[in-house]
Amino acid sequence: MPLTCSQLSVRYGPRLALDGFELSLQKGEIRALIGPNGSGKSTALQALAGLIAPAGGQAAIEGVAVASMSRRAIARKLAFLPQQPAAPDEMTIAQLVRQGRFPHVGLFRSYARRDEEAIEWALESTGLTSLADRTLQELSGGERQRAWISAALAQEAGILLLDEPTSFLDIGYQVEVLDLVHRLSREKGVTIVMAIHDINQAIAVSDRISLLEKGELRFDGEPRALAESGLIEKTFRVKGRFVEVAPDKPPHFDVELARITGAA
Amino acid sequence: MTAASRIPRRSNAWLLPAAAASVLLSLLAAVFLGVVDVPAADVVSVLTGAGSPEAHSIIFEIRLPRIVTGMLAGIQLAVAGLILQTITRNPLADPSLIGVSQGATLTVTLFLLFTVYIFDPGSNTVAELPVAWLPLAGMVGGMAAGGIIYLLAFRLELSPLRITLCGIAIGAVLHAIAIGLIAGWGSARIEIILEWISGSLYARTWDHALFLLPFTVAGLAVLPLIYRPLVLLQFDAPVARSFGLSYRRQFSVLLLVSCALAASAVGVVGPIVFVGLVVPHLARFLAGRHFALILPMTVALGAVIVTLGDLAGRLAGGAEEVPIGVITALAGVPVLLALLRKTP
Repeated sequence: MPLTCSQLSVRYGPRLALDGFELSLQKGEIRALIGPNGSGKSTALQALAGLIAPAGGQAAIEGVAVASMSRRAIARKLAFLPQQPAAPDEMTIAQLVRQGRFPHVGLFRSYARRDEEAIEWALESTGLTSLADRTLQELSGGERQRAWISAALAQEAGILLLDEPTSFLDIGYQVEVLDLVHRLSREKGVTIVMAIHDINQAIAVSDRISLLEKGELRFDGEPRALAESGLIEKTFRVKGRFVEVAPDKPPHFDVELARITGAA
Repeated sequence: MTAASRIPRRSNAWLLPAAAASVLLSLLAAVFLGVVDVPAADVVSVLTGAGSPEAHSIIFEIRLPRIVTGMLAGIQLAVAGLILQTITRNPLADPSLIGVSQGATLTVTLFLLFTVYIFDPGSNTVAELPVAWLPLAGMVGGMAAGGIIYLLAFRLELSPLRITLCGIAIGAVLHAIAIGLIAGWGSARIEIILEWISGSLYARTWDHALFLLPFTVAGLAVLPLIYRPLVLLQFDAPVARSFGLSYRRQFSVLLLVSCALAASAVGVVGPIVFVGLVVPHLARFLAGRHFALILPMTVALGAVIVTLGDLAGRLAGGAEEVPIGVITALAGVPVLLALLRKTP
C-alpha cells in the first residue's frame, strides 16, 4: 500500500490536534479529508508528509516509516502542497516548477533530458506551458494555484497530498483542479489525499472519505455510506438532505440555510 | 495583467560581460588615480616592470594591496548579505543582522584594551600595538556572535523571524558593551578603534589581502553547491522541505558560510556599512527574473562598489582620506531608496 498511518497523534503544546488517526490507501485512490475548521485535516496531511513529528503512531510510505526517511527520499515518493504557499514575486512559473525536480537532481546533478520532460509534462498537464515565463506576481489566483500544483507534479511522486487545493478559486478553476486530480488518479495511478471544504466536491470526486472532528476520525468509507450515516449534519451542525441526482452517481448534499430562514 | 508584463523580456546577455568589464575598469581607475599624483605613463611603466622606485612602491605597496583587500572584502560582504537576505527572507538583512559586525567590534575593542597589559608598549603606544592581530580578533568575535545567535535561534526552532530578533537583540548588547568600553577606557587606542569601526581600507597591506584570500576563494568555490538550497530557502520551511530540502541542515550551512565570509571581511576592513545590504538589491534589480545571474552579479558588484567607494574616499579627502565605510553609507542610502521605488 502506498501510504498508511496507524494511531497517528499530533500534539500542539497541551492540545491534541490529531488523536489516533488511521488511514490506509490503495494505489490510485482519491481520498478526501473533510471536517469542520480546526478538526485536524491540515495537521493530518502534514504528519503524513513527515513535516511534523507525531506524538504517537507513525505514517509509512510503502511500508517504510516516514520518520526514518530523508526529506529527499520522501519527496521522490510524496508531494505535498500546503494551503496558500508563498514564493518570491519575481520567480517565474518555470523556475517554480523546476524546484519540483530537486528530489531527483539533488545538490549536484545537472538536469537531464528526463527532468526537462517531467517539467514539460507538469506544465502541460496544468495548462501553463504558454505562461511558463510569467512571474508569479503577474498571475491570477487560479493560475498561481495551478503553478504550485504543477511544481508538485514535476516531482513525479506516486502520492500527492493537497491541502484545500480549490479554496480561493472560482468555480471554473475548482472544476479544473478536481478534473486534474481525477485524471492523475485514473491515468497515472497517482494516490491522492486532499483536504477539502466543499462536501459535494468531496463526494463527487473521491473514492473514499475520512471525516474528522476535533482531531478524531469519525468516519472512513465510501461517499454513499457517509451520506447514509447522517454524520455530515451532526458534525457540521447543519440541516440538509441528500438528493439523488443520477442512479449511478453518489447523492448531492442539499444544505438548508436554517439560520436565515429561522430569522425571517 | 499589467501592460508592462507584456513587454518582451529584455535580453540580459550583456550583463555578465558588462559586470566583468566594470570590475576591470574600477581596478584600473583605482590603480591609476590616487592622492599622490603618479603620471599615467609612470603607472604603465611600473606595471610593465620598469618605472621609478617611488612610483613602484606607491603602486605595489600602497595602492594594489588596499585595492585587492577591498575587492575581496567587498565580494565577501556582498555574498554574505545576499545569503542572509535570502535565507532570513528579510530584505534588510546584512552582516550586522546576525551580530557579526557588533561581535567583531567588541572583540577588537577588548583586544586593543587588554593587549596593552600583555605587550609592553613603548613610548609610542599606537605604533607598538599588535594591530597585525586585529583581523583575527575581529573575525573570532564576529563568528562567536553569529554562533551565539544561531544557537539561541536553534533552540527556539530557527524561524527566520526569530533569527532576526535574536540578532538585533544580541547585536545591540554587544555594541553597547563595546561603546561603553571605548568611552570609559579609551585613550590613544580610540583612534585605531574609531578608524576600524567606520570601515576603512587605510594602510591595508598584502598581509590583509592574504588573510582574506582563502575565505574568498573558499566562499566562491562553494557558491555552485549552495545555489540550489539558496533558491529553495526562499520558500517557507514546509514548502522547501516538501521539495526534498533538509531545511535545518542547509539553513545552518548557509548561515555558517555567510558568517565566515562576513566575519573575516569585517575583521580586516571593519564593518563597511551598506555593502552587504545594497549590493544584493542592486544585483537583483539588474538580474531581474534571472535568478541564476544574481549570484555572479553580486560578486562583481561587491568588488566594484568597494573599489570605487574607496577611490572616492581617497580622492575626496586628500591626505586626510574619508573612510570607505562613510562613503558607502552616504552613497548607499540614495541607491537603496531608488531601488525601493522601482520595487512594486
